[in-house]
Amino acid sequence: MAAAAEPDRRPRHRPPLVATGRLRSPPAASRAGPGRGTSWGVVLDSRWRMAGAAGASSFGSMIEARELTKRYGDHVAVDRLTFHVKPGRVTGFLGPNGAGKTTTMRLILGLDAPTSGGVTVGGVPYSGLPSPLRTVGSLLGAGEVHGGRSAQRHLLGLAVSNGIARDRVDEVLELVGLPADTARRRVRGFSLGMGQRLGIAAALLGDPEVLILDEPVNGLDTEGIRWMRDLLKSLAAQGRTVFLSSHLMSEMELTADHLIVVGRGRLLADTTMRDFIETHSQGHVLVRTPEPEGLRSLVEGRGARWRPEPRGGWRVEGLSADVIGDLARRHGHAIHELTPRHSSLEDVYTELAQPAARYRARPEKEVAR
Amino acid sequence: MRGDTRTDRTELRAEPRPPAGRAGFRQAIGHEWIKFTSVRSTLWTAVAAGTVTALGAVFVALSESLQPDDTVLGGSLTLAVVGQMLAAVFGVLVVSGEYASGTIRTTLTACPRRGTVVAAKTTLVASVLYAVGLISCTAAYLLGDALLPSGTYAQGEPLPALFGAAASFAVSGLLGLAIGLLVRHSAGAVTAAVAVLLLPSLLGPLFGDFQGWVAGVSPTAALEKVIQTSDAGAEVVGSLGAGASLLLVAGYTVGVLLVAGTAFRLRDVH
Repeated sequence: MAAAAEPDRRPRHRPPLVATGRLRSPPAASRAGPGRGTSWGVVLDSRWRMAGAAGASSFGSMIEARELTKRYGDHVAVDRLTFHVKPGRVTGFLGPNGAGKTTTMRLILGLDAPTSGGVTVGGVPYSGLPSPLRTVGSLLGAGEVHGGRSAQRHLLGLAVSNGIARDRVDEVLELVGLPADTARRRVRGFSLGMGQRLGIAAALLGDPEVLILDEPVNGLDTEGIRWMRDLLKSLAAQGRTVFLSSHLMSEMELTADHLIVVGRGRLLADTTMRDFIETHSQGHVLVRTPEPEGLRSLVEGRGARWRPEPRGGWRVEGLSADVIGDLARRHGHAIHELTPRHSSLEDVYTELAQPAARYRARPEKEVAR
Repeated sequence: MRGDTRTDRTELRAEPRPPAGRAGFRQAIGHEWIKFTSVRSTLWTAVAAGTVTALGAVFVALSESLQPDDTVLGGSLTLAVVGQMLAAVFGVLVVSGEYASGTIRTTLTACPRRGTVVAAKTTLVASVLYAVGLISCTAAYLLGDALLPSGTYAQGEPLPALFGAAASFAVSGLLGLAIGLLVRHSAGAVTAAVAVLLLPSLLGPLFGDFQGWVAGVSPTAALEKVIQTSDAGAEVVGSLGAGASLLLVAGYTVGVLLVAGTAFRLRDVH
């Protein structure tokens, strides 16, 4: 099959993957006992990697959507969506509510059948994976466990369903910081954050190559969000494919390397985080000066915009920091701060995707290919 | 061991190691068994189906409510009809409980081949209920035999009737499973399953000469014939024999289950 075309894809022994040093276990796990939770390598040990034949359909892409379309009656939830999600990086999936993110994830997982087009994971449809949990770990909202079942039994059932060793249940429980006595209690009493950790534990159970996570930081506290960010980055650094949606823009900006942006079921952008922000942002310069009026007339004389910043200082759009600094020196104005700034992901995203009318007005320009 | 991340990444692409283990039928049954035993609703419904049946014999014997033409077997198993109804509820809950909690999505991501999921649930429901039915019906017969005054009533033929009664538990559960797959909501599906079991005998008299045909096709009627109770007269539930009735019920249950399985395979899961 495809493996034959790639001479390098021969079986080879490889030491198990270990996490990078910056990773920490969450506090609950480190309290579990001396010597435990110290090496994530044990927990994240990959005993297998994706079969070459399965992974090689299009080099480097693990999730591939082709003209993926889903209609519910007249409503088009996903509209001819084509994108690739590559391994080794965190890919963020952005879009306003109702943009089709969750539907797309359900289509990837085979829970919904596409109206037309298709999507593959590792080169095959999800339903063709021999042992899906060992290839794809997924989290679609936290409410997928029967409230009357304990976390431990839930994970045990999933392990059995895919022929995963039972020891792995305790490993992932420790990895996500759910103590053993908590794991034996009914899930009904779990907080949102604990439920989310259980969801992550289930996703990591099969030591999967691909992670598909819908709003994984939902309900997590600051510590939990930071832990999740480190976890996702480390998983990507190990060469895994991490595909996550989030409505928390600041969090996405810190976590994701690559972005796929959708609006009304259509692809708006598929680009790196940096490109996305730089291409779409209005760069500006923050200026603090004791003599704003003089500098303002100079700046506006050059055709730039001069606006007050809510937190003090002035925002100049249309001139670089160098030019503003030179202008001030030449005319003898004092400058206390001169900071070039890019828009945040949130600024750019709001500009691009939020009002439906706006992205409709410039549909082609936004699709960066 | 602390590996260099970059090395890991390059090696990762070079290594085609196929995933060990699979998510097949055997694994799916293991999953279903753990789900069944780790939630109160399904576990206790199965226990209740057996308990009602067995304790029914004690109740009937102590209340001396047997008709003179009743048999020890038929009298002891009077409440097996209620147990059978609970068996149908069990079948419903095995699937509708998953829809209610959202577990169905987890189940299908673990085993995306839906035919395998239906086959595993079918196996679980049928085998659990056959065991529950056989144990509880046997216990009921032995209890009734011990408690009822000897010599007063005809004994009835416990074999193969007890196996037939157990089979009728399993078949009712599968009918419930099929209804659960079609209706997906617990309350609606339980109502529908109980209606399927009860309505034919309630509505039968309205059909006059056809009463036997209407009332006789229900799983309840098949069970009554199997246990040779005096309620199962030919004028009420038709003249079809016990074995033939059971086969008829099993036949249409398989049909409904095939339809339900097909619907389950084609429909989106929300």
